[in-house]
Amino acid sequence: MKMTGPPLQSVLQRITECPADFLDEPRIGNRGRLEVAALVADRLRRAGYRVSSAELTSFDSRNDKADRKHLQLVALSLWLLDAEWVHHARLTGASLLSLLEKDMAELAKSSQVDKCLHDTERREEFSRFVLARLGYRPEGESEAQASDRLSALSSIERQRLLKESQAAERRAREIREALARKAAEESADKWTRE
Amino acid sequence: MTGYFDTERYPTLSEDGCRMLQFLREHPQAPHYRNQSGNRLQVEDLIALEAFEQQEACRRPEWSTQQPPDWLDSFIARAWHEVPYYRAQGATPRFADIEPVSRADFSRDIAAFVPDSVPTERLMNFRTTGTSGNPLLLPSHPRVAASYLSFHRRALRRIGIELTPGPQQVGVVLVGFQQRCFTYVSVTPQMGESGLAKINLHPNDWRDPADRAAYLDDLNPEVYTGDPLSFAELLTLPLKARPRALISVGMMLSNGMRATLEDHFSAPVLDIYSMNEAGPIGVYDRELNGHLLLQPDLYIEVLDPQGQPVATGERGEITLTGGFNFCLPLVRYRTGDFAALHFTNEGPLLADLSGRKPVRFRSASGHWLNNIDITHALQHLPLAQFALHQNHDATLHLRLAPASMMYAESARQSLQALFETPDITVGTIDSEDKVLQYTSNLEGAAI
Repeated sequence: MKMTGPPLQSVLQRITECPADFLDEPRIGNRGRLEVAALVADRLRRAGYRVSSAELTSFDSRNDKADRKHLQLVALSLWLLDAEWVHHARLTGASLLSLLEKDMAELAKSSQVDKCLHDTERREEFSRFVLARLGYRPEGESEAQASDRLSALSSIERQRLLKESQAAERRAREIREALARKAAEESADKWTRE
Repeated sequence: MTGYFDTERYPTLSEDGCRMLQFLREHPQAPHYRNQSGNRLQVEDLIALEAFEQQEACRRPEWSTQQPPDWLDSFIARAWHEVPYYRAQGATPRFADIEPVSRADFSRDIAAFVPDSVPTERLMNFRTTGTSGNPLLLPSHPRVAASYLSFHRRALRRIGIELTPGPQQVGVVLVGFQQRCFTYVSVTPQMGESGLAKINLHPNDWRDPADRAAYLDDLNPEVYTGDPLSFAELLTLPLKARPRALISVGMMLSNGMRATLEDHFSAPVLDIYSMNEAGPIGVYDRELNGHLLLQPDLYIEVLDPQGQPVATGERGEITLTGGFNFCLPLVRYRTGDFAALHFTNEGPLLADLSGRKPVRFRSASGHWLNNIDITHALQHLPLAQFALHQNHDATLHLRLAPASMMYAESARQSLQALFETPDITVGTIDSEDKVLQYTSNLEGAAI
């Protein structure tokens, strides 16, 4: 969240203005009309990224139960990513693909598109989540404020921070243990003793 | 002899190198070696060290206060990306806005200063105590320890000395003089397995104190390294062999002590400003009257107490950024040492270097004297170590290393001339630890 994005209010507003086309049932097998994979390919192409068919497989589902929520959130994200500030931000295709594929699949485990549209807190969580994964924070907020607010709203963010702090603690412990080893103590083979 | 083959301590040891280890350790007059260590250098380390040596040999520090080094921005970006302590501070700041760190920050949690990319398997530590007495384990790596030699060779090359490689030559003897110290033998692979012995001259470490001279004469090392205290003891031995150079680190070396050592050994003495946090930083140059910087990838600022750079030529705290220890990249590290930065045709130079915070002393006529004036007043004497304290009543107490007590009266007279008072007592430094060189109880003494 090192970069400053748009005011939060404008992101929230854009979500409430999402056209019905983006909220259609996603195409899964023979059901649904919204071709999410095609929309993703189109958006990435406009970011200068030629997406391969292998990279599109997770947007071309045949499993309604497993993928419906993910694809609906991807469609909502694509609407958000069409905002003017995103185009000015010149985000890389790789970061957009990562957001749509991995981050939205993660979010789909605990959220759904209806709540993002109609529940005030979930809408804010969705907005902040998308901004944060792209490296942005809302205009007028410090990095710490934005991080605090997102982790207060988002169980996924809390999980992520927890994993990050556990990994950091494990790493610090490994370093301290490595420095305390007897072999580390005696390895002083240099020409001077400072 | 097979007992010397140790894949952890000497991964690349040859038969010849093994014979060198045996010679150093099993010599009939050898000291009681109390510990074991090794170079721990693997083949890929030696390849990397060779490349480092070649790269460093053709570079020198090229920056000024107006023109920081060209590697600085990418170094800072990397630190902010890879080092937990800096990453936690958020967006990469402008260099001038970075809050300096000190030994206290390292002491709180040194692990936070180790980059994510450093594997822990081969981490080693350098233990430092400083004058506070609080030990601190600094992360390092066998390749980092071996890299010190590149800068020693650079300093030696400046005075026309190229070291001789090969397993028939003892390259270096590290001399200590303490009740107890870590002693061992090794070989230096990047010098063709020349021998290395770290010894303690204290008689407790020898079967017979007379063995010391016989052993060292037989080793006939190219270089002795140590500090003024251990060199003062070395001076007392009836050595016949002469080294090609002596390297002094860790303490202030007076002009008088340098002259005595150079005269006695008929060899140059290099005074190297060096610390565990950064390795060899500068070598004293008599003509330039300061320590010429040795590391192309170490940027030095001189800061005031508020962390702002002082004007060029003014004294302040030496602050380091960069360095070759990839386990501990330094970002505006305040060393606790003080000097003035000058720029010469040969590169940046630290003048009037002194350890620890400046202290003022008051003369009998009421003038304040900077501690550098005292250093200058005693420069001509070959003092191994000294410490000066001013009491509440402005009387002075000078303490000298036991080996320097013969100069007690000369030192007292030099101070008497400077302070315009005979109220100066002289005693001995009893502790083997580092001492604070300048202390005072007078109000206004701290600058």
